[in-house]
Amino acid sequence: MTENPRGVDAVARKVSGGGRLNRAEALTLYEQASTHLLGRLAGEARACRHPSGIVTYIIDRNVNYTNVCVARCNFCAFYRPVGSDEGYVVGFDELFRKIDETIAVGGEQLLLQGGHNPDLPLEWYEDLFRAVKARYPSFRLHALSPPEIIHLSHLSQLDVPLIIRRLMDAGLDSIPGGGAEILVDRVRRELNCYSKASTDEWLSVMRDAHRAGLRTTVTMMYGTVEHLDERIEHLMRVRELQDETGGFTAFIAWSFQPSNTKRGGTEATGVEYLRTLALARLVLDNVENLQASWVTQGGKVGQLSLSYGANDMGSVMIEENVVRAAGATFCMDELEIVRNIENAGFIPKRRNMHYDVLGDPIVRQRDVPRMTTLAEARAAGDHSVPKELVQYRARTPAGKRARAPR
Amino acid sequence: MSDEVVLEELRAGLAAGGRLDDEQLRVLASTTDLFLLGTLADDVRRARHSEATTFVRVAKVPVQRPAWREIKGQAREIRVTGVPESPEEAEAAVRVVAGAGVPVTGFALHDLLAVSGGDTAALERSLTGLRAAGLSAVSELVVERTPNPEPAVSAVVAAGLAVARVTIHEACGDARLGCVRAVAGWSLPARAVWAFAPLPRADAAAEPGAELPTGYDDVRQVALARLLVDNIDSIQVDWALHGAKLAQVALMFGADDIDALPAVDTGKLGPRRTPLEEVRRNIRAASFVPVERDGCFEDVTR
Repeated sequence: MTENPRGVDAVARKVSGGGRLNRAEALTLYEQASTHLLGRLAGEARACRHPSGIVTYIIDRNVNYTNVCVARCNFCAFYRPVGSDEGYVVGFDELFRKIDETIAVGGEQLLLQGGHNPDLPLEWYEDLFRAVKARYPSFRLHALSPPEIIHLSHLSQLDVPLIIRRLMDAGLDSIPGGGAEILVDRVRRELNCYSKASTDEWLSVMRDAHRAGLRTTVTMMYGTVEHLDERIEHLMRVRELQDETGGFTAFIAWSFQPSNTKRGGTEATGVEYLRTLALARLVLDNVENLQASWVTQGGKVGQLSLSYGANDMGSVMIEENVVRAAGATFCMDELEIVRNIENAGFIPKRRNMHYDVLGDPIVRQRDVPRMTTLAEARAAGDHSVPKELVQYRARTPAGKRARAPR
Repeated sequence: MSDEVVLEELRAGLAAGGRLDDEQLRVLASTTDLFLLGTLADDVRRARHSEATTFVRVAKVPVQRPAWREIKGQAREIRVTGVPESPEEAEAAVRVVAGAGVPVTGFALHDLLAVSGGDTAALERSLTGLRAAGLSAVSELVVERTPNPEPAVSAVVAAGLAVARVTIHEACGDARLGCVRAVAGWSLPARAVWAFAPLPRADAAAEPGAELPTGYDDVRQVALARLLVDNIDSIQVDWALHGAKLAQVALMFGADDIDALPAVDTGKLGPRRTPLEEVRRNIRAASFVPVERDGCFEDVTR
């Protein structure tokens, strides 16, 4: 298809009529359309896809099982190098306690992601997943983003489809779309995240996961070094894979959080977030769900996202560590999420990771304690090493020392 | 009737200088169609201010211990804060910080009225004294705390001063819009009041878990303020109180002025994250043109 740039009005008419945007048209819209026009178009697209007016959310918990990481992405404030005194691994018992807390407030899933820790072999993940499933059979594990799976592939010298199969056999239910950042290799090299997964590698893991029968999400972290056309290139690569597999359940965009990172710099503004979200809704005509990133934008702009293409308020996170490390400390419990959805004129419904509607808010059914701050993976100063770690072979000298008998 | 038809009717009516009738206001006050509301408010805002968005760096100085050492950085407004115990104390505080070429504003009008014995004539005498001491404007007129605003504003004007901004303290729910309607109904001399800040100031200090206004509530409030209030030139949001993201989004819904940037920049976050750079970036990203102003709403870049 020839990609002749056209005027905003012509592109707006095309997209309103259900036409598919090409790269040049998407760029025209982003660069030239007013924010109100972008929002109106995205709102129409959203209403067309979700005419019921339902806005979903999930009750789950983001557990970052380790902060030890060898990837060294320069936009990350969360990781600690191997051997750091501040490095941690969450133990199985700790994780069970977190699951108990999650179930107590109506949750039924963990989002489990962590650093690329060379001292955690594939068997540790398999044992962890099996232990969770044995204890909580119906509890869902939305775990391990593509770069983590590639990391396990490198560590174990097994190919990615086999890693995915083994993790599924152990209890993996779905894969989060983390680590996508911007799916353009020039950008990934500048962010020092090319080595953890190139664009093609990231997409390939998702293709393998979809072929294996898993559903996944897909993310975009924008606002670092990418140009606008590279943001659009990211969306196009996602759309292409979705055309091929149909495996993405949702798209989630958030802005780079610069505090405490090596990269530093500035955060993209709230208006840029709303424009990017709206554009994503228009370009990703084959992705059903778009989440609002209230955790990076705050509750108010998070709610406004519902007018700019989002149909999902994301997660009642209970716990979050990665974005918090970079300075974002927003918190919304279920009551607050439900209030915001209704205030915007929508109908709140709980969902699972597959975006199946589970029912009305838990807070409408029973008393749930208010949550005004998100929990952390580890209390400050807790350097304990989980007892089960000694069963797994450490690869690094620091890991071996930590697991040596005392 | 389709949204487009409603929008065009409202647009045409407002462009012709018409005011919203009660039924239109009722519909707009509960609409979740933010684009209808935003487009209408943006039209009105652009007709007044074009693409310019003003902002001001403020150094706040407490009335009880005014001192030059409090005024660091690049203040374009010195704002004397707190409740004076007497007109004399207020004057003395202004004298300490005036005379440096930076406009001095200070005090809430109801506090000055109270220390003047609740009498408008006495208020005017106090204000005259404050002007002589170097005051350029009264900092704020709090809607809920000023039961008779018009005579109080007349006293301000008679003393040769102005009110820098009208604020809402803590109204919530329908009372927020009630405050906007009240302000819109005031009969004010031209340029007597420079700005209206329609987002309640107490929201920002609420406890965690409090049922705060939502993003929709806030942008609707800002837009309705712009649509209803035609007796005050600027609609203002407070950078420090409401945060960069909401302040920026409010610009698309009729706000044209950002108040209370810190005058002091620690530089800890690097040159690209100074408040000055951040506010300029936010204004440009919302497709407006940043213009730094002083405490008298004068463009300082000229």
